[in-house]
Amino acid sequence: MDLDTLAQQFLNALQLGSLYALVALGYTMVYGVLLLINFAHGDIFMFGAFIGVFGAFVLGLPFLPTLLLSMIITALLGITIEKVAYKPLRHASRLSAVITALGVGLLLENGMLALTGADPRRYPDNFFAASVTIGDTTLELSVRIVIIAVALILFLCLYYIVQRTKWGMAMRAISYDKFAVPLMGVSQDRIITLTFVLGAGLAAAAGILWGVAFTASLSPYMGLRVGWKAFIAAVVGGIGDIRGAALGGLLLGFVEIFVVALGSPIGISSSYRDLVGFALLLVILVVRPTGLFGVARRQKL
Amino acid sequence: MLFQVRDLHVSYGNIRAVRGVSFEVDKGEIVTLIGANGAGKSTILNTIAGLQAPDSGTITYQDEPIAGIPAHKIVERGMVLVPEGRRIFGNLSVYENLRLAGFRLDEPVLKQRLSDALKRFPQLESRQHQRADTLSGGEQQMLAVGRALVTGGDMMLLDEPSMGLAPILVREIFNILKNINRDGKTILLVEQNAHQALRLADRTYVLETGVVTLSGRSADLIQNADVQKAYLGG
Ligand SMILES: Nc1ncnc2c1ncn2[C@@H]1O[C@H](COP(=O)(O)OP(=O)(O)OP(=O)(O)O)[C@@H](O)[C@H]1O
Ligand SMILES: [Mg+2]
Repeated sequence: MDLDTLAQQFLNALQLGSLYALVALGYTMVYGVLLLINFAHGDIFMFGAFIGVFGAFVLGLPFLPTLLLSMIITALLGITIEKVAYKPLRHASRLSAVITALGVGLLLENGMLALTGADPRRYPDNFFAASVTIGDTTLELSVRIVIIAVALILFLCLYYIVQRTKWGMAMRAISYDKFAVPLMGVSQDRIITLTFVLGAGLAAAAGILWGVAFTASLSPYMGLRVGWKAFIAAVVGGIGDIRGAALGGLLLGFVEIFVVALGSPIGISSSYRDLVGFALLLVILVVRPTGLFGVARRQKL
Repeated sequence: MLFQVRDLHVSYGNIRAVRGVSFEVDKGEIVTLIGANGAGKSTILNTIAGLQAPDSGTITYQDEPIAGIPAHKIVERGMVLVPEGRRIFGNLSVYENLRLAGFRLDEPVLKQRLSDALKRFPQLESRQHQRADTLSGGEQQMLAVGRALVTGGDMMLLDEPSMGLAPILVREIFNILKNINRDGKTILLVEQNAHQALRLADRTYVLETGVVTLSGRSADLIQNADVQKAYLGG
């Protein structure tokens, strides 16, 4: 592999990894706060991508407004799912919550299928013309670099919220010991709502960026594989920790890209890349059962 | 009367943990509820604080019924609980624990309360940026009380603050509680450590298996033969 190809693959890996990371953050935050694996999260990602199609085609919006619109609408979807499907089950068994989450996912997939038909969608060609004009020189930006940059900015915003604001402190506090949080005057429901807003918003952004990165890939089922991969990334990173989700996502991106890049010259088919992803999960969990950043938590009450 | 509990019943499934308990706390008092393991002390405090729903009975604070109000709203009414086992957030820094306790406060009030709490517990000041789970047991208890000071309110409920602490630390904590009370806070203290609690409190209620069996001025109860036998080791 020459240096230029290596650099290209490096960018590919960063791009794929940062998209996995954005989705993984939603899994990890919801788990941290509710001890619930939101198996509908991949489909929330898909929903965000389709709201992007709506914004770009129907409303004719450019990239950034579409991104914002989709993040907001998808956040509302996240809140609705939590209030309607998960909240009534907060004291029910773990299994009924998992089954409900899978049901919500199916509902979203089939609802979107009914709404939009089975044809694969893609964003308009001029949707994402990333260029900056400084004086009279126009600089064309690589799509990949913009995607990586947007993902990084979103992650930094989230990191700031979680680490520096009182809302973030409350989210971290709930993940440690939810019993004492209301005694601080904090409404647990509001923290849970915030968690779904952040998780779904990031998933929506990832959905749009995914559609830009891998054109002709928008289908109502697009959230299934990405959702599973991002879930793996969250577990590998140590579910409940946002740095872990980011790192796990990047790691998975690198592994998948380089399995294909290094494997195909020596005859390893690219269809092995999913297998390698799952194998990675197993190996890391055997060595570190709590994931890269995971720590034992206070026992759930 | 600042605070009143009337005929309170609380149960877990078919375990009746609290069976018709009544007591009251006047403004500025320190009142203690003493009782052995499983007597229902924590159940009573958690119910007052809104963490648990009572089966029946009334709880009145500042002339308003508060039974059944959720915990985060009870805080708004000006009542704060330091729960059993301290329950500090070990994954947050000492500062973050205190900051979170002032979740509802505006910036100027928050600043004032934070600096007051740190003045009361100078040990915490130098450890502000340390993770709270690296604190010793005594320091964790101080953080738990410090948090309650930041949260604020006229009345503080404490569930066994002496738990697991060396006698010298218990005395230190109880002295601090005395000072907090002098500065105007009404205190309802639940304890197994009857020695220290009786010495600190103005009045005492003795709780046995969910029922109040004895009550009176602490100074009188210390002389009571039954109390001496059951709670003061003879
Ligand atoms: N979550 C629960 N589920 C079922 N029973 C409970 C629960 N919590 C307490 N109990 C029971 O209720 C009764 C009172 O318990 P509580 O914790 O209020 O006692 P306590 O006086 O605080 O005891 P300790 O001094 O050990 O803290 C006990 O019989 C206990 O076993
Ligand atoms: Mg107790």
